[in-house]
Amino acid sequence: MPWTPKTTRPILTSRIPTPPYGDWSKRHIVSYDEYTKTGVVPGYAALRKALTMTPEEVTEEVKKSQLRGRGGAGFPTGLKWTFLPKPDAATGDGGVRYLAINADESEPGTFKDRLLCDFDPHLVLEGIAICCYACRIQTAYFYIRGEYHHQAKVMENAIKEAYAAGVFGKQGFFNGAATKNPFSNASGGTGWALDCYVHRGAGAYICGEETALLEGLEGKRGWPRNKPPFPAIKGLFGKPTIINNVETLAHLPFIIHEGAGEFMKQGCESSIKGAPPSYGTKLMGMSGHVNKPGVFEFDLGIPLRTFVEQYCGGMRGGKKFKGAIPGGISMGILGPDQYEAELDFDIGRKHNVLGLGTACPTVFDEDTDMVAVARNIARFFKHESCGQCTPCREGSGWLYQLLSRIEEGNGKSKDLDLALEIATSMGTMPGTTICGLADGNNWAIRTIMNKFPDEFQKRVKPTFVPVRLGGLAVGAGV
Amino acid sequence: MAWITKNSAGTQIERRSEPYLTPAMRKDLSERILPRYAVKQACVLPCLHTIQHEYGWVPAQAMEEIAEFLGLKPSEIIDTASFYEEYWLKPKGEHLIQVCRSIACEFCGQKDITEACKRKLGIDVGETTDDGKFTLIELECLGSCGSAPAALVDETLHENLTAAKIEAIIDQTAKSGAHGHGHGSHNGSHGH
Ligand SMILES: Cc1cc2nc3c(=O)[nH]c(=O)nc-3n(C[C@H](O)[C@H](O)[C@H](O)COP(=O)(O)O)c2cc1C
Ligand code: SF4
Ligand code: FES
Repeated sequence: MPWTPKTTRPILTSRIPTPPYGDWSKRHIVSYDEYTKTGVVPGYAALRKALTMTPEEVTEEVKKSQLRGRGGAGFPTGLKWTFLPKPDAATGDGGVRYLAINADESEPGTFKDRLLCDFDPHLVLEGIAICCYACRIQTAYFYIRGEYHHQAKVMENAIKEAYAAGVFGKQGFFNGAATKNPFSNASGGTGWALDCYVHRGAGAYICGEETALLEGLEGKRGWPRNKPPFPAIKGLFGKPTIINNVETLAHLPFIIHEGAGEFMKQGCESSIKGAPPSYGTKLMGMSGHVNKPGVFEFDLGIPLRTFVEQYCGGMRGGKKFKGAIPGGISMGILGPDQYEAELDFDIGRKHNVLGLGTACPTVFDEDTDMVAVARNIARFFKHESCGQCTPCREGSGWLYQLLSRIEEGNGKSKDLDLALEIATSMGTMPGTTICGLADGNNWAIRTIMNKFPDEFQKRVKPTFVPVRLGGLAVGAGV
Repeated sequence: MAWITKNSAGTQIERRSEPYLTPAMRKDLSERILPRYAVKQACVLPCLHTIQHEYGWVPAQAMEEIAEFLGLKPSEIIDTASFYEEYWLKPKGEHLIQVCRSIACEFCGQKDITEACKRKLGIDVGETTDDGKFTLIELECLGSCGSAPAALVDETLHENLTAAKIEAIIDQTAKSGAHGHGHGSHNGSHGH
């Protein structure tokens, strides 16, 4: 049955022309003025609406929408916010707390948050303001990877515009007469200010992990922290902190303005009994061997085949589909028989990958050398492991060495067993590694080796094991 | 066992009388950046960015100056600086070419791009040309996977590259004469 989209208008990309709704040559940076006048929800109308609600009502609406984090883990956003300590009942004061926006986007294959920063920065800023209101946060740090030079400048400029317009700063939106802002009411309407700053990273993939990101903000090496305590209790500078992905926050204006119900009309229910749904649209960046790669916006649940054949012009050169990484190399791989896989949060349980990740698929055609793919991925993790945990630091190095050897044709068949054993030992046992990087390395290498066993077998020489047979030494290939 | 705590005879820091962290930089950092954070140490990355951007690398003396400026120990600065690949702790070429070697790029033609750079510049990955103009390195995903292969030349991203295109970009960059400081991100010489 052909897949039909539920969403008939772009939500996140309503100001960023994207096929099939628009032509991407018309993409441009949307200024504050243009933002307020255009889009599926007129810019900052949702923030104005949020301010007529109590922070708890805003949180409740987000919870109701069942919005799940777009940074890779799919954690329910509203629920995360409720982990913050309860504010003082009398004053509404939650004490000092922070929002850290995760714009570190460094997972190979992923290039979707960049689209929002490139063209519609105010959509992100409005989401930030709504989140800060709901969570009673007065300082937000936009942690953007160092290599996004242009995007950091676009965000800086947009933040300047937003200060001038009163979204941020002492005088403005939050202190207007019509708000239910508990702070502005308590202090006569002038006491509350939201500040937002860009903090540039400096070339470290691991700083996308939320606690490593906090270390980077604090001016330290990006070493992930042991949890608990979770950041919502003890995060940046020891204070309660929410960390959300750029795209997650960009969904908030629509949810608040149109209501959770409208949001839940997009995306899909889970096909697994009792599992949570995948509501909403998702930015999906296609890369690899297709004719027209790029970032698109679809309902969650679009089959990979439809994405490739209908929207990306099919496989390049008319080649056959061989496999795809569903959303960042940490997720593992979909094999040739998994072309129909639906891109939603069920994908992990249904197709033996780690998960949907960032929903930015990298597609490989029939000519791709899967041993080389595995080696490329192993090299990445070896390079990016922060080195705190032995299984990750040592395992990633070993995997890279083994896979390089196999790729060069110098591997033995026992190397395959060894590689699988090492991969499987990384991050699987809870508590042996601090963060999820090791687990991503494990899933990536293990699924490639398991879904393309012949390619690995073909590349190795049999391990020579002498066997004694009636006094004669006979070589046996194992 | 007692530790011997004399200074290592091998430790020598090159110094110059002029500070790297200039009064103008201190003023800008104090007025614009420091007030943003509850803790001074949070300014370590912004300070290092300032130095890296201005000089194209981060000299040891500059790290001492940052430490003094923020009331920290020099060891705390080098601890951070040595972790992030964007900071170069040794001088590099005037211009930095960083070719993405991650998944989408490698399988969409990155090797040709790296080879073209090597040929054109007469150096290997991780090296600097004799005239000090160009340093060539490979790095991980630049977030341009849909327009692979991609490379950062100083602070400018180039996408959908071909060998001919990158060669032309190198020619242009060489001619432009401008210093490309502030470029980039990956110190090929240090892994984790
Ligand atoms: C190794 C590693 C790298 C990560 N990189 C990113 C990243 O670049 N961007 C991101 O948003 N989340 C990244 N995450 C996920 C974050 O830790 C965190 O779950 C996310 O930012 C939460 O935001 P969300 O709930 O809005 O998705 C990474 C996680 C791990 C373990
Ligand atoms: S799992 Fe790897 S990347 Fe994560 S903290 Fe441990 S060593 Fe660092
Ligand atoms: S893989 Fe090269 S830009 Fe992402």
